This record gives sequence, structure tokens and C-alpha cells, in this order.
Amino acid sequence: MSSAETTKPQSFFEKNHLLLRRLHSLTGIVPIGVFLIAHLVTNSSILWGKVGMRQAGHDMTMVQGGVTYFQKEVQWINEQVPHLLLIEIILWTALAYHSILGFYYARTGRTNVTSYAYQSNWRYTLQRISGYIGILFIIYHIGTLRWGWTFLVPGGATWSHEFAASTLALALRGGEDFTAAGVAVSLFYLICVSLLVFHFANGLWTAAITWGLTISQSAQKRWGYVCAGLGAGLMLAAWSAVVGFATLSPAQARDFEKKYHEKYGGPAAVEKLGKPATGPSMNPSTSAVRESVPVQGQ
Amino acid sequence: MAVTGAQKRVIVVGGGLAGLAGTVRLVESGLKVDLFSVVPVKRSHSVCAQGGINACNEVARQQGYSEYEHFDETIYGGDFLADQHPVLEMANWAPKIIDLLDRMGVPFNRTSEGYRDLRLFGGSLFKRTHFAGATTGQQLLYAMDEQVRRHEAAGDVTKYEHWEFLSPIIHDGRCVGIVAQDIRTMQIRAFRAEAVVMATGGCGLIYGKSTNSVMCNGAAAARCYREGAYYANAEMIQVHPTAIPGADKLRLMSESARGEGGRVWVPAIKRADGTWGPHPRSGQDPKSIPDNERYYFLEEKYPKYGNIVPRDIATREIFDICVNQGMGVGNQNQVYLDLTHRDKDYLQRKLEGILEIYEKFVGEDPYTTPMRIFPAVHYSMGGLWTKFVKGTYNPPKPLPKHVSGKRAPINAEVGQGMAYGDPANAMTNIDGLYAFGEVNFAYHGANRLGANALLSCIFDGLFCGVGVANYVRDGAPSKAPSKDLPQGAYDGAVERETARMKKLISAVDLGKAADEATNPYVIGRELGVEMTEACTVVRTGPRLEQCLQRLGDLRARYNRLTLADAGGWTNQSLSYARALGDMLDLSDAVARGALERKESRGAHYRPDYKDRNDAEFMKTTLARRESDGSAHVEFIPIDASLVEPTARTYGKKDDSKPAPTPPTPGSTGVPSRPVPTTVGSGV
Amino acid sequence: MSSTTPTAPSVAPKPGTRTIRIRVKRCEGPGKPERWEEFTLQVSAGDGTNVIAALQRIAAKPVTVEGKNTIPVAWDSGCLEEVCGACTMVVNGKVRQSCSALMDTIAPNEGDVVTLEPMSKFPVIRDLVVDRSRVFHNLKRVKAWVPVDGTYDLGAGPKESPETQETRYVLSTCMSCGCCLEACPQFTKQENPETWDSAFLGAHAISQARLFNMHGTGKQLEKERLEALAGPGGVDDCGNAQNCVKVCPKRIPLTESIGAMGRAVTIHAVKKLFTLR
Repeated sequence: MSSAETTKPQSFFEKNHLLLRRLHSLTGIVPIGVFLIAHLVTNSSILWGKVGMRQAGHDMTMVQGGVTYFQKEVQWINEQVPHLLLIEIILWTALAYHSILGFYYARTGRTNVTSYAYQSNWRYTLQRISGYIGILFIIYHIGTLRWGWTFLVPGGATWSHEFAASTLALALRGGEDFTAAGVAVSLFYLICVSLLVFHFANGLWTAAITWGLTISQSAQKRWGYVCAGLGAGLMLAAWSAVVGFATLSPAQARDFEKKYHEKYGGPAAVEKLGKPATGPSMNPSTSAVRESVPVQGQ
Repeated sequence: MAVTGAQKRVIVVGGGLAGLAGTVRLVESGLKVDLFSVVPVKRSHSVCAQGGINACNEVARQQGYSEYEHFDETIYGGDFLADQHPVLEMANWAPKIIDLLDRMGVPFNRTSEGYRDLRLFGGSLFKRTHFAGATTGQQLLYAMDEQVRRHEAAGDVTKYEHWEFLSPIIHDGRCVGIVAQDIRTMQIRAFRAEAVVMATGGCGLIYGKSTNSVMCNGAAAARCYREGAYYANAEMIQVHPTAIPGADKLRLMSESARGEGGRVWVPAIKRADGTWGPHPRSGQDPKSIPDNERYYFLEEKYPKYGNIVPRDIATREIFDICVNQGMGVGNQNQVYLDLTHRDKDYLQRKLEGILEIYEKFVGEDPYTTPMRIFPAVHYSMGGLWTKFVKGTYNPPKPLPKHVSGKRAPINAEVGQGMAYGDPANAMTNIDGLYAFGEVNFAYHGANRLGANALLSCIFDGLFCGVGVANYVRDGAPSKAPSKDLPQGAYDGAVERETARMKKLISAVDLGKAADEATNPYVIGRELGVEMTEACTVVRTGPRLEQCLQRLGDLRARYNRLTLADAGGWTNQSLSYARALGDMLDLSDAVARGALERKESRGAHYRPDYKDRNDAEFMKTTLARRESDGSAHVEFIPIDASLVEPTARTYGKKDDSKPAPTPPTPGSTGVPSRPVPTTVGSGV
Repeated sequence: MSSTTPTAPSVAPKPGTRTIRIRVKRCEGPGKPERWEEFTLQVSAGDGTNVIAALQRIAAKPVTVEGKNTIPVAWDSGCLEEVCGACTMVVNGKVRQSCSALMDTIAPNEGDVVTLEPMSKFPVIRDLVVDRSRVFHNLKRVKAWVPVDGTYDLGAGPKESPETQETRYVLSTCMSCGCCLEACPQFTKQENPETWDSAFLGAHAISQARLFNMHGTGKQLEKERLEALAGPGGVDDCGNAQNCVKVCPKRIPLTESIGAMGRAVTIHAVKKLFTLR
């Protein structure tokens, strides 16, 4: 019978068990969760950008407002946010850490919803499923839109931050018009972003127990409502973004983007904001158009 | 497992409250303990104790209560059958034991100021019962279990859980170890020890259905009895008045239900002459019965104690109402135990555990519907006969007559009742073989008071544990340690037990598995029915003689037993069949004791000898096993040198009617026990 | 099942009785093959027959539905009133105490089937009997005891408010039955005892750590308990599926204990971080 006092030499993972676990929990909220919120809010502006533009004094149609506002946001992020590279590295590291450890942690459990079909148990199961799928989706999402894995994009479109909305619409639709593959991609996006939003909201709820913020069952319930509310809001944003871009006509969007660039675009826009243009994002806008326009004909 | 040469080892058999308390005490004395239990110790039957644990406390003390009165109540409650000195010592230790349990973290219910709360319990007019919800036994057992686990983690205790005790090993008249069997691998082996403590509880299973757990078959005690240990007061079996009838067992409804205000009644119609008769709508919705058609028979017959009369009295009254007067609810063997007049919040706080059991197993809500209950076999006051060494208190004659609530003749100093640390305390007639807790006969006489059982278990462990340690240090083991004894003594015992097992295994015949005549489970069931009919609430000479005859028949069938499992692995049929033989031995001792005790006393009620007969039977029934398994019974004097016996009436009102335990002539019954104004009658 | 089952050939069913089927997953020992056996049983409404009573009756007449004599089923039981924790089984797919599983509730109709399986998270000893030593071992990992200075008479324990008592009492009713572990997706079967110390403790042990940290004297081991809870298999291994609290027969607020210990571990870790050593 082994005595409780026996001390075996512990591995790095055993010694830092709590730290690794809590970092996993923390990275899911900051930076990943925060990024997710920002990302979804930005992307959903394709539907509500008109409101944003009106506040800036520009009365536009819904589509133009969305495209313009989104373009402005994307350009701001790509060109104006300080230490973008650092932020990206942090985000990447966090994402990698959260994914790898999350995958490992998820493998320590055995789901049993068939026997115990409680709602919380379903969420436990879904948390893991959404994690697995989420990892795959994020790789696809970034691979296709940032790393130029055009072979995975029906229609082969490449995303350009200077023609943010139109190229995104191309990628989602599989071309200027919806293709069957495009519908599949759009649905895939819809499902995956929904899962990720769930993963975040549910993760936020469980994190509160893990960290000991919520103890009593009523506190857990109250926090559950908060998380569900946040999740619902993010879900709305996520669906808005996917639906907004999937239903956007790339040609029309391109027109608005051109207008945007003509009016504020390129160096002019940057000058207007009073900062020197730097970095790889300063491709001439025309070249971006050239790259993105020749979509394989339908 | 390895025997450390330097440190001496003691075996404790049984991991209930008594065994665990003893284990802790022995470890603290520097001994190593091998703890044997057929079940994981945390699952021992002590978990089932519900109501609480008695002890004098400051509140009661300032109302006039004392350790001495606790002692006096226990003697009186036990109908003057218990040896008195050990009971005195136990009552004196009770407050210390509560403090200790408190320190160990038992979540005793609290008053708003944070002190331990108290409740009223049967047989006392003072609140002197400490409790942890309605699962006090569970909480106490867990506290001890945790302490033992702590010592186990430190390497001082080795647990042999899922090991069944088969026999003590007796060498030169001294117990030097045990034979036990791993009930998973079926390995039989001998264990050496300087002393063996039996703490194996009661034997309710001989009655088939009882309030006891499934392992409470008395087999371990019977195996000591078989090897020559005396068994005392076997016939003193407590039938608890309030249990929930069930298919597999009779679940206890704690006395605390009455202590917290539960009222016992049946629907009845009051006749012109003031007596009660059956109610035409009995058995229908109890809420529809108006108050004047409810017969609160305990309150009416015992206005002073009311519903909190001791168990034997309540049991006989309920039995009388149902069986003799035909007034049971719906003319069945059941009466109402009613808590519906109490506030639900209050009940939940104090009794939730037990009311939940009722709800779960009966499917009715006890908060709104009166519970239906009936008596059930609950506790064996009798058990292995043990010795004690008188303490320092020896009052001159005439003995002091204690008046309830008045100053006690002595304080509660240690050692007045029993000589502290004496190796003879709790030792059976076999040197080095001890018996702690329910398995001994020492404290409860002819009837145990509610909430005294937990006390006696822990008291044995703590108080008598020291004696065991002293025996190991100074007694026979110091001259001839068990490790130096010849291996033959141990091998022989293993061989005997192996042969016993082989005989049973050879009776395996799958083809006859369903043959009722020789199926052990069927024989066991019939034994239970027979014992329940003949040896519980009402016992008559002819019926007991018939019972003994039937026990003989059952034994004959047992000898032709067929088993359905020859398995050499976790063979539960074998364990059961082996225990059944031991249960037959004990049953014989119970029935024969009941037959020979020609009087009525405490739990033992003989309509053919209705009076208590102190001259002939204020004596311990001592049973010795004959080679054919039957019991040879004799009566030996008791130590009654502290309290003069009085009539045990509990202030019964109507003396003209035949009483369950009639007062002895010349006694008015009431005067020695006035009602303290501070407490009330508890109804 | 019709009334012509071999088990009751001559007995015509009484009015109000019904025949139910009991399917038992059997296994003669570790490493032996599993098989199912089926028995029929006559029960009547309100007779209080529970799983244990059914098994007792089968043991007294061990004949399968096919009319074949068989070995009585091995099972674990103790108090039969849901307070000892012995008789945990998987009844109709869900873990519970079998003593409180009344046939009137789980098989109310003629022909209903009741399946009995051993717990899946512990090694099977035989039939429905499993080895739950790990449950008790995990109590040692969190030092689930009050470190008293022996059993000597040293006066009363710490005073306690009724509120604390009520919280502690509920936690203290845990009977180590293992239901919370069987239903927990994070608590997995560990065949080798050497992995026990790094595998998940389970809700019961976390809750016991909380119980003893709440006690005036029990607190003295608080740091050691929190270290165990912060280590491998500790409170952070909980996946918050919260099945434990739903299957707990004692309705212990296990998830609250997990939250409370999560908080304690957080505070402990932060304190440790900012304490020079």
C-alpha cells in the first residue's frame, strides 16, 4: 500500500500543473476571447456599418456603409494599430498554447452524454467538439485568407486587406456568384464560428468556476445568464458577419471599395490620419485589385 | 503486511465505531493494528445510527442533570439487568467523548450562539442527546474513519477490508491471532497478534428482516462462541418501535422523530366507557380523521413521558394496539407516527436525513402525511460475555436513591465505575480476546436507551482500548510474544477452516440450485420468519419450545445444504452459507435464553411470566455452546451494588389494566422521577 | 414477458402483480468474459421490491429466463437505506444506489426490463461487485481528516455557527459511494494503482477537502490540501460537466465545492507567488 507521503520526482508538467491549466484558461479569455470579440464586432460591421458611417457624417446605403466602414476598420487595424506584429505574435502563441493544451486536456476525458444527457454534460461535450473543430477551422481560416492557400478556396480568391469586403465575399461565395462549393464554405463558416462563439461563452462560464469567481449554484446560474447573453450577442455578430459577407455582391463591394480608396484611399487616407505609411501592407491598391479581380469565370 | 519485529501488533475485527475507536486508541498506545472488516470500514453498520449520542452537558447539568443521572437512567432503562459499575464509568465518560468527537470535526448541530444543540430522547426528561442532523452515527463513524485513515497513511494501521473473520486462534487458553479469508481471492490465512479485539456488532440478520445492515449476521461473535467464548443475555433483543416496513429490510425511523415531537396514534372511536375501539375509516386518508377520533395511546397511557417512553414499552404498546386490539391503521400492522403538526423548516433542519429515507422508500411525503410505522428488530443488548474490574465507588448500604434533577451522590471522576487501564475490562472468558461495542453485552441490560449505543461503542474503544494495550505490555504477550509461538497452532487453525470451506464447496450442485429444501438463502429466510414469530415482542414458553424444535429442523436441512457456486473467487454463496450455520448457533442461544428466563424484563416479555422476578432472574444469562450447536444456559449473578432495583413504569397512568411491564407490588411507580419544570414532558 | 416463464410455471399471476425482467451483466472475475443473463420476477405495486430484494430473490432461486440453473449473482450492499454507499450500480444505464431503486419506479409496467451493470470506472471483482479502493485512496491524497492531538480529553472543539455547521454537515454526508465518479467524464478508469496519484481526484475528494478546510482545526492542513488540489489530478482537472451533482444520492453541492476549492487554490497560488521563500 503506497503511503500518501511518498514523493516521486515530478515532471515539468506535473510540477507546473496548475500554472499550465490556468494559463490555458486565461489565454482563452485574454487574448483569444478579447480578439474574438473585436474580430466579430469588426466583421459584423458589414451589416451595421451604415450606422457607423452615418455617425461619421456620411449617409450611405446599407451595403456601401457596411463595405466602407469595414474597409476603414480593416485598414486601421492593418496600418494604424501599434505593435501589430507583437500583438500577432502574442495572439499566435496564445492560440497555439490554448489549442495544444486544450487538445491534450480534452483527451483526458471520456464523454458520456448518451448515459447522462444533462444540459451541462452536453455543454461539456460540445466544448470539446467545438475545440477540435475550432482548431481545424482557424487553420483553414488563416491558411486561406492570410497564407494564400488558394487551393482550398473555391474560386481561388485571395483576401486583400485593401479590398477587404469584396475579397472576403469572393472567398465565401466561391466566386462572383454563389457556387455550390461556396455555399458549403459559407455554411462551414457559419457552423464553425457558431461553435467558437459557444466555446468562448461556455469557456467563460466554466472559467468562473475554475478560478472560483462563482461558487454557489445561484451565482453559477447568474453568471450563466451573463455568459449566455454575451454568447447570444456574439452569435448575432458572427452570423451577421457570415451572412453579410456571403450575401454581398463582390462586384458591388469592389465598387464601393474603389470609391473609398479614391476618396480616402492609399497614401492619401494615411496622410489624412497624419501617419507615415510603413510595412508590407502598403502595396499599391491597384495591384491588390489586379490580384483579386481575375476570378475564374463562371 | 510485513510484521515489524519491534512493534507489537493487535488485531481489531470490525471497522464500525467501536473497532475504529479502539484502533485509534491502540495506535496511540504505540501498537500497530491490523484492522479486519468484511466491508470497507466506512460502510459499517454504525452509519445507520440516526438519532444521537447521550451525554450530560452543561445546559442539562444546570437544570439538575448529571452523569450520575445518565447512569441511573441507563440502569433503569435496562430494567436492572446490566452490571452497574461499567455503566457508571460509561456515563461519566460521555461528556469527554462528545468533546473529543467535536474536536474531530463531527458537525454536531449548533445553537445560534455556536454551542452544540441538544434534543430530547427516549427514557429521559432532560435534553441530553447530541446530534448531527439525523445521521449522527454516520457522522461519528466518519470522524473515526478519518482518524484511522490518518494513521493508515502514517503506516500504523493496516486495513484488511473485504476479509472475513473465520476463527480466533487459541493457544494455551489465550487468543493469539485469527484465521481470516479474503472474500475476493478466497485465500484463507492465519494472522498472529498479541491480542484480538472483536468489534463486530449485532446479529439482527438472524431475524431475516431487521433494521440492521446485511453484514450484521452475528457470525463473527458466533465463531468466538463456537471456540469457547461465553455469550450473554442472548435473548435481550431490542425491537425498535418505529421502523418502515420494506421488502428487503425494515428501515429505521429514528427515535428522534418522537424526540422532536412526533406523535404516535391510530384512528379509533372512543366508547362510552372511555375505552377505544376500531375506527371504520381506518386506513383512509389520515388527514380526514378528526382529532377526537385519533387515539394517541402512548400519550394517554404514559402522560409523563408520552411518546418518548423507552423503546421496549413503545414497541409493546404498538404491538398490542395492532395485534391484540385490531386497531392498526387499516387493520394492518402499522400505526401513524405523525410529524405533520411541526414546522417543515424545523423538521428539515433536524430530521431531514430520516424523513428523506421515508419519502424515498415509501413514496409518501412525511411532512404532510403521517408516516406508517411498525416495530422491527434493531439491536442486541446481549453479546459476548466480558469481564470488568470494579472502580473505586462502592456506596455503603442502604444504596443512595437518586431523585431526578437532584444532586448526584458522586461526581464524574474517572475510575469510579471501572478500574482505568485494567487489562480485564471488556475481555471475554478467553485471555487476549476482547469484545467492544454491540458485540459485547455490557451496558444495556435488558433494554438499551436510545442514543446510548454510539456512546457504548466509543467508550469501549477509548476506555477498554487502554486495557488492551496494558495487557499486551504487561500480560501474557510480554512473556510469550505471538511471534515465538509454534507455527503449528496457526497452521492447524487454517486447516480447520479450509476443511469447513471444502465441506461447503463439496455441496455444490448447480442442478439443485433451486431446491428450496437445501438452498441456504431459503433456509435463512425461514430462520428469519421463525425467529421473528417466536422471539421478538411476545414470547411464550410453548412457542419457544416449538421454535427450538424448528431450529433443529433447519439445522438438519443446513447439514444437507447445496450451494450453487463452487467458485474460487468472490464466492458470496459460500460466505452466506457459512454464516448461516453460525446464525443457527446464535438463534439457539436466543431462543433458549428466552425460554429459560421465566420472567418479563425490558425487551423480554413473557405473557406466561408477566412479572419481573429479581430474586431468580436479575442475573446474566450465560450461554455456552454444546458440540451439537445448541446452547447450554445458566444464570450468573450481576453487580447491582450501586442502585437498588425499582419498578420500571415510566409513570404509566392506568395501573389497573394489564401493563406491558407491570410494576412490582408496593411501588407507586412515579415518585422517584418528578418532571423537571424546565423541560416539560417532551410531547 | 408472458406469465408462462419457466420461473413461475404453476403460479398464476395474482391480480395487481406484474412480471418484469432483470438483465444482469455478469462476469466471473477480473479478465473473464462478460455476458448477460436475464431473470424474470413477479412483483406487485406497493410491495417495496427494490433491486436488492430482486437480487435476493434471484439468489434464492437462481434460474434464468431460459430455465437454466445458474450461479447466484454477486453484488455489494450494506445498510439498504442509502447511507452506507455500498450498493452503487449502474441501473438502467445510470449510476445510483440500487437499494433505493424501487421496481415500482424503474419498472412500473408488465414486461419492463431492468438492466444491472457494475460501475465502469472501477475494476470489476465479480458480477456487480467492483473494487473502489481508489475512492478511499483519494481521501488520503487530500488529507481528509482533522489533525487532532489524539483521543485524550482536551476539552471541546472550536465553536461553530449554525450556518457553517449546516454547510459542513451536508458535505460530511458523503458516503464515498462513487456515483459522482462514475458519472464524471473526467474521472476515468485506472487499472494501475500507480497512476492513481496523478489521475483526477473526483468531486467527492474535492468536496471533502473543502469540508476539512472549513473546520477550525482541520484548517491546519489547508495548505497541504490545496497543494494536492493544485497538483496533477486536482481541482483544475474538472471539466465542469456537472454530472456529479446531479447523480449524487446525498444531494451534496459538489459543484459548489469545486468552485470553492477553485477559489481557494487561486488565492493560495497568488499568495505563494507573492510570498518570498
